[in-house]
Amino acid sequence: MTLSLAVRNLLRNRRRSLATLLALAIGAASILMFGGYSANIKYSMLSSYVRSGGHLQIQYRDFFLFGSGNPTAYGMPGYEKILTAVREDEVLNKMVRVATPILQFGGIGGNYSAGVSRTVVGTGFVAADVNRMRTWNEFDIVLDSPRFALEGAPTDAAIVGVGVARVLMLCEPLGIKDCPQPTQEEATKGAALPSDIADLAASVTPGKTSSPDAKQNGAKLDLLASQGRGTPNIATLNVIAAEGQGFKELDDVAVVLQLEQAQRLVYGRAEPRATSIMIQLNRTDQIAAATKRIEALLAKIEPNRPMSVLDFETLNPFYVQTLQLFDTIFGFIFVLIGGIVLFTVSNTMTAAVVERTVEIGTVRAIGLRQSGIRRLFITEGFVLGCVGAVVGAAAALLTAFVVNRLNLTWLPPGSTEPLPLTLMIWSESRMIIGTTIGLLVIAVLSAWWPAYRAARLKIVEALRHA
Amino acid sequence: MAEISTSEPVAILSGVAKSYQMDAVTVPVLRDVDILIRPAHFTVVLGPSGSGKTTMLNLIGCLDRCDKGSVTVAGQDVNALSDDALSDFRARNIGFVFQNFNLIPVLTAFENVEYPLVLSGMEPARRARRVSKLLDLVGLSDRAKNLPGQLSGGQRQRVAIARALARKPKLVIADEPTANLDSQTGAAVIALMRGMQERYRISFIFSSHDRGLIGAADDLITLRDGMIQSIHRKKVSVETESVDSPGDNEEDDE
Repeated sequence: MTLSLAVRNLLRNRRRSLATLLALAIGAASILMFGGYSANIKYSMLSSYVRSGGHLQIQYRDFFLFGSGNPTAYGMPGYEKILTAVREDEVLNKMVRVATPILQFGGIGGNYSAGVSRTVVGTGFVAADVNRMRTWNEFDIVLDSPRFALEGAPTDAAIVGVGVARVLMLCEPLGIKDCPQPTQEEATKGAALPSDIADLAASVTPGKTSSPDAKQNGAKLDLLASQGRGTPNIATLNVIAAEGQGFKELDDVAVVLQLEQAQRLVYGRAEPRATSIMIQLNRTDQIAAATKRIEALLAKIEPNRPMSVLDFETLNPFYVQTLQLFDTIFGFIFVLIGGIVLFTVSNTMTAAVVERTVEIGTVRAIGLRQSGIRRLFITEGFVLGCVGAVVGAAAALLTAFVVNRLNLTWLPPGSTEPLPLTLMIWSESRMIIGTTIGLLVIAVLSAWWPAYRAARLKIVEALRHA
Repeated sequence: MAEISTSEPVAILSGVAKSYQMDAVTVPVLRDVDILIRPAHFTVVLGPSGSGKTTMLNLIGCLDRCDKGSVTVAGQDVNALSDDALSDFRARNIGFVFQNFNLIPVLTAFENVEYPLVLSGMEPARRARRVSKLLDLVGLSDRAKNLPGQLSGGQRQRVAIARALARKPKLVIADEPTANLDSQTGAAVIALMRGMQERYRISFIFSSHDRGLIGAADDLITLRDGMIQSIHRKKVSVETESVDSPGDNEEDDE
């Protein structure tokens, strides 16, 4: 009877109830749509990081904190033993999709024919593994992960960041468009130089990439690295492509080569090492179990070496910071909309109490307790909250359905390619339930104070109310 | 058949005083009132506006508490009861008929009469039987599904009377029940109430400033300036045997 009475009372003043429901529904839809947008960013970033670096990395314990200064000092000898153990473990092989070694090192990259060089960070990969990692898509995110061009390429092939290509004057041989060149001072106008002197000047002037040597040699990169004992070693690489790295800082230093080539450059004839073993799992929720298992495995295989297993969140603080930022914005929006809902519902219920004062007196006279009055008005708030949140959720899902089919794109920070703008709402059942319950609680709380006041009305005064 | 005691007074007011605060001024409404409401009688409280009729009925109906004195209803000192206990007490013992009918506008005639029974927790089938019987008694069986807004004033008041009788109260209080009705309809409502009172031996007490109702009363209490001016009691033979309860012919279930 209470529920039926509550619904009928809400239908009495349809316009007011509708306005309140609209406020609730728009609030719920706004929260869910932002949440859906935020979820899309989260899963896009997660997918991007997991495709490029895996869910977990096995490293020497201090490599993450101190390795950037001298990565080769933290190379793991006998890393194949760990790889084999991970691949063959009966528990891990059900979880692990890809386990692959990488070698990071610092060096100097130079383009001899252009007379330019710069410090670079080199990384050696197993190209086939990288390509397999790039196909991981647990969350069905539309992410453009181009095929890793090193697979099937010769051992001396390399890929550089677009920034490296720009600085080392490799844009032209690599056919990179939109590759600005340093501005040259305009030559003083005067009599034309003899042709032989002009050719000589062009060959020694920085910024000139169209020397006949450069064209003939293609995109060559001389990579100088320090070996374990400090002796320098150099490799001449054929740059086959340039890939944007998203961040300029990374784009200006990245050189990617075959693992075998990198190991030969850094360790020479000594035992090859890897600075990390990247592990990509089938599912992200397997991280904790896989970490535990790998740690146990490492304790058995490498009892005397301080090893650590780091997850992608630890390895990519930017990801965590971005999520925190979005969580904060989401919380702020929820509080803001919650406040609006609170005042709207409270206002509606207060007006209802004033309008129905005589009725309150009547049902109290008939024998309804104060708690019954409170229950009646709180039920009305509950019904408003329920209907508003459900309508809002439905509206958000409908909007998401439409938006996701408009093929809108956006360029997230750290990305070189625009991503599809999608609202991931349907898959976020926890967010939908959380938002619905949250708004429901706010609606009920909003009704509580007017309900409390209604229950405390003196019966005779309520009956006298005009 | 229900047992309704017809020997003890249904309400006793002893040395009752009540005043209201209007801004900074305390306005005495009832002063030292002593009154006894006889069971199974039709009692009319007469008096001009402001004489304290409504306040007295509110005290007897346990809708308000007195400042001084004691109010005993159906053998219970109601001053001692908590708000919840008083609500339960009203639900069990007292029915109300209001000047403005005070039906719940979103409920049908049937549901309005049913409402006190819902509060009592009676099972739906029994509720339905009793409500149907009551609506039949007040002549509104064919209007059961109508909302109050679809009923005339007289019909609404008859629904209110049926609602007041739903839980077989010991006492029905009606505060100026005919004030918003034309004289013909008002007379019909009084006749209906009188008929119910005689049939079920329930105490009816209602207030009015219409001296034309004097003839209908067993007991006539006249109030003036918050004090009892006169009490006239007719000698009425009251059966002491069990009498019918309104609403059904089943065994007493409350």
